[in-house]
Amino acid sequence: METSLSPRSLGQPGFLSDLRAFGAVLLREWRIFMRYPSWMIALFIWPLIFPMMYILTGRALSGPDGSGLEVFTQVTGATDFIGYIVIGTTVWMWQNIVLWDVGFSLRNEQMRGTLESNWLSPTWRFSYLLGHTGPQIISMLMFIGITALEFGLLFGVKLNGSVWMILLVMLAAIPAIYGLGFAFASLVITVKEANAFVFLIRGLVMIFCGITFPISLLPGWMQSFAMWLPPTYLIHGMRAAAFSNAGVTELLPDLIPLALFGVLWLILGYSAFLLMERRARRTGAIGQY
Amino acid sequence: MQTNSLSQPNIKTQLRALFVIARKDWKVFWRYPLNAVSNILQPIIWITPVYFMGKAFSTNGQAVGFAQYSGTGDYMSFILLGTVLSNFILTVFWGMGYALKEDMDMGVLESNWLTPVSRILILVGRTLASLLTTTITSLIMLVIAGALFGFKPTGNTLAAFLTAIPMLLGLYGFGFAFAAIVLLMREANTLVDVSSFLVQGLSGANFPVKSLPYWLIPISLMLPLTYGFDAVRGFLLNTSTILPLQTEVALLIIFMFVMLWFGAWVFYKVERRVRTLGTLGQH
Repeated sequence: METSLSPRSLGQPGFLSDLRAFGAVLLREWRIFMRYPSWMIALFIWPLIFPMMYILTGRALSGPDGSGLEVFTQVTGATDFIGYIVIGTTVWMWQNIVLWDVGFSLRNEQMRGTLESNWLSPTWRFSYLLGHTGPQIISMLMFIGITALEFGLLFGVKLNGSVWMILLVMLAAIPAIYGLGFAFASLVITVKEANAFVFLIRGLVMIFCGITFPISLLPGWMQSFAMWLPPTYLIHGMRAAAFSNAGVTELLPDLIPLALFGVLWLILGYSAFLLMERRARRTGAIGQY
Repeated sequence: MQTNSLSQPNIKTQLRALFVIARKDWKVFWRYPLNAVSNILQPIIWITPVYFMGKAFSTNGQAVGFAQYSGTGDYMSFILLGTVLSNFILTVFWGMGYALKEDMDMGVLESNWLTPVSRILILVGRTLASLLTTTITSLIMLVIAGALFGFKPTGNTLAAFLTAIPMLLGLYGFGFAFAAIVLLMREANTLVDVSSFLVQGLSGANFPVKSLPYWLIPISLMLPLTYGFDAVRGFLLNTSTILPLQTEVALLIIFMFVMLWFGAWVFYKVERRVRTLGTLGQH
């Protein structure tokens, strides 16, 4: 008599086990993050020197008698040109860091040679990507907090609005910014070397989203394109919340598109991940680098 | 028994080695054509916000405030020229250190070091192909950016070009010293990124240094690059300069000799130290 035994996995995946796996990835990422304290230097230096180059150029454009600054105030409605530039450049840095950190998270794991073995464990695979996002959001909040502190103390940039409203705009932007990061991470795993894509996306934000100027100065077709980029609304909303004391009602024209883009990018990010996962298993691309 | 080396180094062999290094880098660069596209587009992307920001500070297309500092309201020509010079500075100043780091990571530094070629020459060789590719990509960038934003040189191009030569040669000295730091520290990316940003910013790559806050001006005046940017712009764009043009050119020539000597001295001292420690092959 012949008996056949179907192989049984020891893993019993369920919601709780997925949650535990997510927690484990989160903890691992947090440990790696804390093991290399050199990021502390970057955390204090970059928020200051990157906007600085635009601020110093703005200072030169103002002229010794401030005549240029008067024109800038009339055009932008901003009384504090340093704060105006800092918000734009900080949003650009946020998007840039997310692309490098979240976008390359799976790729880095692939380079370390651990992606394939992790992929074999009976866990929810998206948790690998989500786990990277947690410490990233915390470090980004620290980054933005330090930027505000440094420019407040050293350059006297003062908020003329509510911190809660600024946080609300940032919160509304998180799904769109990180959704793009998820989609990007899947693309990176597929094409391997994707530095040029980072340069392209951050370049679009730099040119179209008005990091140092109001987008009304752009030609019509560029303004229409800018409306399709979530950082445009984030920069506009944060400036309004920080310097024009805008409330929820005034911020709705920025909050609604941000929320819609958030939903869109989360769906796109998750779909891209599923597509990549299926393709990678079929072609065996997970272990290749 | 006396051992004799098979190599017979002379000027001809050293020049051949220099050519071979440059040819190898030239081939590697063009194997990744996206890099060339990126080198052309990146500077344009970075200065686009400045172009629109400048519009927000201008009346009828004239940046009157800017003209009070620089002597020209044409801020885009001012910035574009600064961007082109910055590309060359990046190539010479940081290029040698980066090339050493690359060789370390690929594990070929130690074997290259064993060849009977002057080590300073190896470093110089690593910049030759980059200088050529930087010239090509910068010229294309200038044509595109000129068409988009406008570039109007009104002065003496030859004088500007000749002024840039002692500045670049002096930068080789800086480059040797920086390569020594890379040999010693082995990982200097953050140092490079931050110092490159600061040096270029404070020497006036994007704005006249006269507009800096008063406490930053002395630091800026201590950087030889400040006079390089200023003199080249003075010749090519007829901007107002910090010192008379002849004085700035004389300063650049003195700086060239001092830096070349000092950089080579630091490099040889450190190179001897890492050979003694045996850390050359580590990364």
